[in-house]
Amino acid sequence: MVLAWMRFVAAAGLLLLGLVFEVLAVFGVNRFRRALNRMHAAAMGDTLGILFVMLGLMVFRGFSLDALKLFLVVAFFWIASPVSGHMISRLEAMTDEDLGEILVMDKMLEAGEQETRVQKVKAQEAKGQKAEGQAAKVQKAEGQAAKVQKAEGQAAKVQEAKA
Amino acid sequence: MGILNMLGSGLLVGSMLVLAVLIIVTIVRSVLGPRIADRIIAVNMVGTMIIMLIGILSVYLDENYLVDICLLYAMVSFLGVVVLCKVYTGVYLQRKQLKADLGAVEDNLKRQSQKNEKDVEVP
Repeated sequence: MVLAWMRFVAAAGLLLLGLVFEVLAVFGVNRFRRALNRMHAAAMGDTLGILFVMLGLMVFRGFSLDALKLFLVVAFFWIASPVSGHMISRLEAMTDEDLGEILVMDKMLEAGEQETRVQKVKAQEAKGQKAEGQAAKVQKAEGQAAKVQKAEGQAAKVQEAKA
Repeated sequence: MGILNMLGSGLLVGSMLVLAVLIIVTIVRSVLGPRIADRIIAVNMVGTMIIMLIGILSVYLDENYLVDICLLYAMVSFLGVVVLCKVYTGVYLQRKQLKADLGAVEDNLKRQSQKNEKDVEVP
């Protein structure tokens, strides 16, 4: 009797845990804005949700051939779900032309939180370009100063000649 | 044992009801989803939840063969998602006048025609 109650409680706990995961997955799918973020939430329901529901059913049913079949369903899902997720993400990456404009890392950079390697390299390149531009400006300024000196010299010569 | 049986059937029916509500919410998302990938994700989730539903139903009705149907449904759902992704990739490429798959066919045809010309020129 006690054993049966313990088994029931374990089965109910696992089943409700799976349902909680599934509720979270549905919430995430409805909450996120972009398809790739939605896939992140949906994959949780595809793996953990079905795992815990099927484990609960196996404990509920008792260990037999049917429990093995339920475990086979979970095993098939864990093999098939990444493949279908890869297909969906490839479709999204191919067809969404605005995907390159997700500026998450840029916003993080603006907030000064974190800096990825690529962004560091880009920032260094931008700095180098800026430095080169400044050097060119300095050279131009020197050249202009030289011209101005020449002009002053000519003006002085002209004044001397006039005098 | 009577109490346990009643509690067990109540638990199974309750979880089936929760799953039914979640399926309705997910179908609403599949109708609303702005992009085609959102719809495919929602349909995939509906398939997952129907598989759970069939599994719970097999325990509730105490029928063994429903577990086999569950496995078959998983396979058909996976196949459906893969085919939908392929179809919409092809639709996008055709709309953009890109020839990702047709390009290979044309390349083969060109190569064969070149080969034929060489064969004609040799004699």
